[in-house]
Amino acid sequence: MQGAAIRLDGAKAGGKDIKLGGRKVEKIKQNPIVKKIGFNRIVLVGVLILMYLLFGALCAIKGRASFFNISHIYSALNYAYFLGFLALGVTFVIATGGIDFSIGPVMFCSALVSGYMLMQMDVPLIVCLLVSILVGTLFGVLNGYLVAYLDMPSFITSMASMMLAKGIGSVFTKTQSVIWPQASQENGWYRSLVKIGSGTSIIPTGLVIFIIASIICAIVLNKTKAGRYILCLGSNKEAVRLSGVDVKKWEALAYILCGMLAGIAAIFYVGAYTTVQPGLGDTFNNEAIASCVMGGTSMAGGIASIGGTFIGVLIISILQVGILAAGFQIDLQYVITGIIVLVAVYADIRSRKRRN
Amino acid sequence: MGEIILTMKGIDKSFPGVHALDHVNLEIRKGEVLALMGENGAGKSTLMKVLTGIYKKDSGTITYEGKEVEFENPRAAQDAGVVIVHQELNMLSHLTVAQNIFIGREIMNGKMIDDAKMNEESIKLFQKLNIEIDPTEMMGNLTVGKQQMCEIAKAISHDAKVIVFDEPSAALTEAEIEELFKIIRDLKKKGLGIVYISHRMDEIKVITDRVTVMRDGTYVGTLITKDCTKDDIINMMVGRVIYEDPKAASTVPKDAPIVLKVEHLNAGKMVRDVSFELRKGEILGFSGLMGAGRTETARALFGADPKESGDIYINGKKVEIKDPMDAVKNGIGYLSEDRKRFGIVVGKSVAENTTMAALQNFMKGLFINKKKEDQVSWDYVKSLKTKTPTVETEVVNLSGGNQQKVVIAKWLTRDCDILIFDEPTRGIDVGAKSEIYTLMNELVAQGKSIIMISSEMTEILRMSDRIVVMCEGRKTGELDISEATQENIMHMATQRK
Repeated sequence: MQGAAIRLDGAKAGGKDIKLGGRKVEKIKQNPIVKKIGFNRIVLVGVLILMYLLFGALCAIKGRASFFNISHIYSALNYAYFLGFLALGVTFVIATGGIDFSIGPVMFCSALVSGYMLMQMDVPLIVCLLVSILVGTLFGVLNGYLVAYLDMPSFITSMASMMLAKGIGSVFTKTQSVIWPQASQENGWYRSLVKIGSGTSIIPTGLVIFIIASIICAIVLNKTKAGRYILCLGSNKEAVRLSGVDVKKWEALAYILCGMLAGIAAIFYVGAYTTVQPGLGDTFNNEAIASCVMGGTSMAGGIASIGGTFIGVLIISILQVGILAAGFQIDLQYVITGIIVLVAVYADIRSRKRRN
Repeated sequence: MGEIILTMKGIDKSFPGVHALDHVNLEIRKGEVLALMGENGAGKSTLMKVLTGIYKKDSGTITYEGKEVEFENPRAAQDAGVVIVHQELNMLSHLTVAQNIFIGREIMNGKMIDDAKMNEESIKLFQKLNIEIDPTEMMGNLTVGKQQMCEIAKAISHDAKVIVFDEPSAALTEAEIEELFKIIRDLKKKGLGIVYISHRMDEIKVITDRVTVMRDGTYVGTLITKDCTKDDIINMMVGRVIYEDPKAASTVPKDAPIVLKVEHLNAGKMVRDVSFELRKGEILGFSGLMGAGRTETARALFGADPKESGDIYINGKKVEIKDPMDAVKNGIGYLSEDRKRFGIVVGKSVAENTTMAALQNFMKGLFINKKKEDQVSWDYVKSLKTKTPTVETEVVNLSGGNQQKVVIAKWLTRDCDILIFDEPTRGIDVGAKSEIYTLMNELVAQGKSIIMISSEMTEILRMSDRIVVMCEGRKTGELDISEATQENIMHMATQRK
């Protein structure tokens, strides 16, 4: 789990046998730095770097423009921002042992509704951005209420709200695409939230915001009451309920956080791409969930890692950009993502079996 | 003394980080019941899993009917006639009795399953065991005792020559245990080799011929049951003498205030018009047979299950308890009989479990004060003598007794005045058991009050100041410890309407 074990009894250092409930337990020797960062995360960073180098080599072999070009990093990051917010949110839901398949369409619904208000109804930009977050949050409240308070299974509930999100987005915009303003146009300043590739500033605002958001999420998950109870109820909800904890409230909160972050993701999506089409968004669910699982968050609940999710998002983003840059068909990305997810889930199940 | 049918010699088995079996020997003879004893974690279950092919041994030999064997999987063991009746029953509750017995090898009529034939065959099996069960009944509608009989019928339907019973009596009533023993004696007469794993000393003396004792994954020795005393066996298991004397008289002063009063509690079929009082510093035992509604009463009182009616007074004031949150707010803590499901979060650390019910006291602003949390948890680890290397250790790594202590620490951290112990020592070994008892006595001495539900008569008589007896959802009697005997408790416990 997080961080190194605090050893209050001092004497029993790693490597020695210790008695535990009548059995001998041999502590495995571990490098303290490895232990602190976590073996999984080191592997993940390795995968990330390898993948970057691999695409570099592929581009060189196939005689395409060099992959080691800052513009590729820019487009990978553009992809990482909105995907990152989706993945951060769904990490909380998966930590409770649930799942949310509505995040991608909810993000699009937020972007469509708020964009339509901006472009067609002349609502001030700042209000539209808040509406975007609000729409996402409302979907989170809906999912959270249905799952936590009415005991509906999260899988089917979020499938249904995915339909709702797609439908509402389409109906609201009368099935028209919404094109958010360019940076140079009036109301275009929201794009500077992303600001990479536009040239004026060297500070990658989007990256800074994404890192800060990840740190906040990590703190919420690991240091606050909400995160503690979310993780615990993901592990054994009934035991937590019988400890007198308001499990419904905390479980619903995970979905609300997830929805809110999907609403924020919408802003970063339009910040990067400006155009939103109704009726789409499902593929981002899979990518966001894949990022979490890859990062070591257990689909069974109770174990979650924001740091892992962060790196997982970067891996998916590099993959997305790399495949295009190397001139492969984009659909190959789904094949690779699929394989990665299977490997990650298998590893999770193996490590669970070992622990028991 | 019968001839040897199965020998295990020098069995060795390691798991990553754990040496579970260290050159263990075991000898099973025809027409004999062999008790396999040891504290939890001694390796009994592991040894039986090696025998029946669930685990692969690292070294050692198994000789069965004169030949060296190694069963690939439980199925192969079954086919050879070595079967295990598990502690947790592996039954599909929505299938009929006959369908359960023949699962995996259904009797076919062409391409179709022949239910009629399976029912017939099941009846034949039950006749062999001299029991009466309707093979067309849904498994889920049977009592635990009856389900176990079906499991035994299933075992003998494999032409078993060796049957292992893994704590068969844990969930049975006294009457059902009697019936089980009758069956075991029958099987013994037929020349089967039987291994009987149990924590209950009395049963060992009654039903077994020899006792093999294990400790910490090693073979300690084998005794002839009729030549040894309880203390002999316990000594081999733990290396110390434990006496279990019943409490002579209540230690609660007559004028101790009433902290909890329950009036006319009703919840479903299992809790009918239950009323009782609990005094400060008292241990109130709840006795009764399995299915008497004691756990249900506790859960309704605690708000874990909805109740239909009834009033609850705490320190004379009427309180509304709709869910566990209300109960905890009113200072009630519940220690479930099923720790792993309802008591602890096994994947989380000792510290996280300790502060689970009282996390609000460990906040520094928005954040959890980890230092204080570890400190308090460690204080409880020390004062309750919980065996754990650190407070960061996941509870899954602790033994049953130590897990129970973590649950106790959780409620003490919350400062609960009323604690409901539901089967406090179930699945806990003898040594840890007496530690739990000492702890409970210390708690009441500090002015806490305890409701203790227990199916073990010795536990009820040893710990309680007063005893409430239930039968089929109703309270059928109340006794002061000075007037309680096994006989009059049992009389009340079987007092059906």
